[in-house]
Amino acid sequence: MNVVIVLLALLGSVWLLAVVEGWTTTGRLSLSAPLLSGLAHLGRESIVPRTPDRLFFEAAPILFLIVAVLGVTVLPLAPTLVIADLATGALFINAALAYVLVALIMAGWGPNGAYAMIGGWRFLGQLIAYAMLIVMPITAVAMRAESLVTTVIVASQESLWNIVYQPLGFVLFFIAAMALAFRAPFDLPIAEGELGGGVDAEYTGVRRAVLRLARLTLVVTLAAATVVFYLGGWHGPLLPPWAWSLIKTLAVAVSMLLVGRYLPRIREADLMRWCWTLGIPLALVNIIIVGLLVLVVS
Amino acid sequence: MTAVLIVALVTGAILFGIGVYGALSQTNLVMIMMGVELILAGALVNLVAFWRFLHPESYSGQMFVLVVMTVMAVEMAVGFGVAIARFRAKGSVEMEEAGDLKG
Amino acid sequence: MYAQAFFVAIFGLAAIGFGVWVFRTSSMVRSALALLFSQTAVGCMFLAMQTEFLGVLQIMMMATEMSIMAIFMVMFMMDPGGLGGMDMTHQKRFSIGAGVIAGGVAIAVALLADWGPVTPQAPDAAMQTRELGMELLGRSMLIFETAGITILTAMIAATAVAIPVQTLANGGDKEDSE
Repeated sequence: MNVVIVLLALLGSVWLLAVVEGWTTTGRLSLSAPLLSGLAHLGRESIVPRTPDRLFFEAAPILFLIVAVLGVTVLPLAPTLVIADLATGALFINAALAYVLVALIMAGWGPNGAYAMIGGWRFLGQLIAYAMLIVMPITAVAMRAESLVTTVIVASQESLWNIVYQPLGFVLFFIAAMALAFRAPFDLPIAEGELGGGVDAEYTGVRRAVLRLARLTLVVTLAAATVVFYLGGWHGPLLPPWAWSLIKTLAVAVSMLLVGRYLPRIREADLMRWCWTLGIPLALVNIIIVGLLVLVVS
Repeated sequence: MTAVLIVALVTGAILFGIGVYGALSQTNLVMIMMGVELILAGALVNLVAFWRFLHPESYSGQMFVLVVMTVMAVEMAVGFGVAIARFRAKGSVEMEEAGDLKG
Repeated sequence: MYAQAFFVAIFGLAAIGFGVWVFRTSSMVRSALALLFSQTAVGCMFLAMQTEFLGVLQIMMMATEMSIMAIFMVMFMMDPGGLGGMDMTHQKRFSIGAGVIAGGVAIAVALLADWGPVTPQAPDAAMQTRELGMELLGRSMLIFETAGITILTAMIAATAVAIPVQTLANGGDKEDSE
């Protein structure tokens, strides 16, 4: 039962997000636009490039979608509304999302196109930049909750949300999450301006539809993770817990879309430098501050 | 229960065998490292099986797994460092062409 | 118990299958990703053996590690796509012999040894994570710290080996694009 509810919530969030994305790019608010464009994708010709690595070409969009959904399985909507309340939930979501990289490398290598391949390998460089900034803020969150279980992490924020308790960690995690979801300004693997679509470039028809769905699902997954780790999950007055989770998730997802619209795309080398010379020291400082707070306050 | 232990140990042994074959037969440094990774994967399977089925009360077993994972990471880092240096100097990481390392 | 044996065997077969594929395909990216899926199957075996933390950790670490392996394969191989059908092996007979003997001896030991009584019940996952943490920062702290320092040393050493030799000829410039 939980599985169905959570997956429906995920699907609904993805649909709303697609509506908002369409609204911001075309200026028209249309509730049916995502469905129509999805159907249009199904009707289009599915071109397979010459001499592809067929296995990777076919498997990449599916793997991408699977890992994006797998990430959601450990994130609670309400105290009992979670698919798998794993003892290592906060680690599991990292493990699942690490395979986004694998999917993108497969999608880049598979179609035997230069731009796609560059896009795929670029994401590997991007991972080396953002990976530590995902893991280290989560470490600080787990330190406060004294647990890796996601429901316990949310419960630990009942009196004070983590965004107030460790604002530095939130900022780092939010940036890294955007880099992981390769939203603008971190959309290096699919950079339209320089790579003509990058890993997306060679995909058409059904596969393209799956790829786009997976990408939006990934944004929702990361937004939900941000909510669970930093924004108090289901906590909130008046409304039922699941409603709070959904509202916060959508708000974070939309803010991820909006931030990217006002920033220029960052260069690969700059991203790497700032993440390693600025981001990681700040993440360490965050861990130290949280450690001191945990020791002093409790 | 012993059956599960033996299944895991046999799997570890076969992975080890494949790894040994790979590490000895490949001519490319990176492929050799893949063989070594498989050898270590076999070792990991055995360690976890021993911890789970023989000594679940002693967490040194899990600790050892972490150490082996560290060894895998270190092997990768140093191996690729050497590979880059070699490639820069000689333009190839083929082991057949590395006779000059004999000294 | 039968379910556990079944899953351990299935993931074990997957690990072996992908492991064999690593050395049978001539496409280097396929080879690296086959190794990745082999390691992932090993991680799933850990999960099947109720060792949740290590399983998830293995699955997470190997995704990055093997992807990095893939890019090095593409960088250093003459024929990364494998379309030329080059033979990348040497001393075949010796290697097959060594592999079979090494694997065979290990299998024989696994089958013949008396493993004694087997514990049917594993500690539950939350308990394991907690106890492993206590072990890491308690009795085994020195080992854990040494492992950390080793990785740091390896990183520094690898970087030092890998950066280009700077001579006066190129003005001691870094390769940095700035």
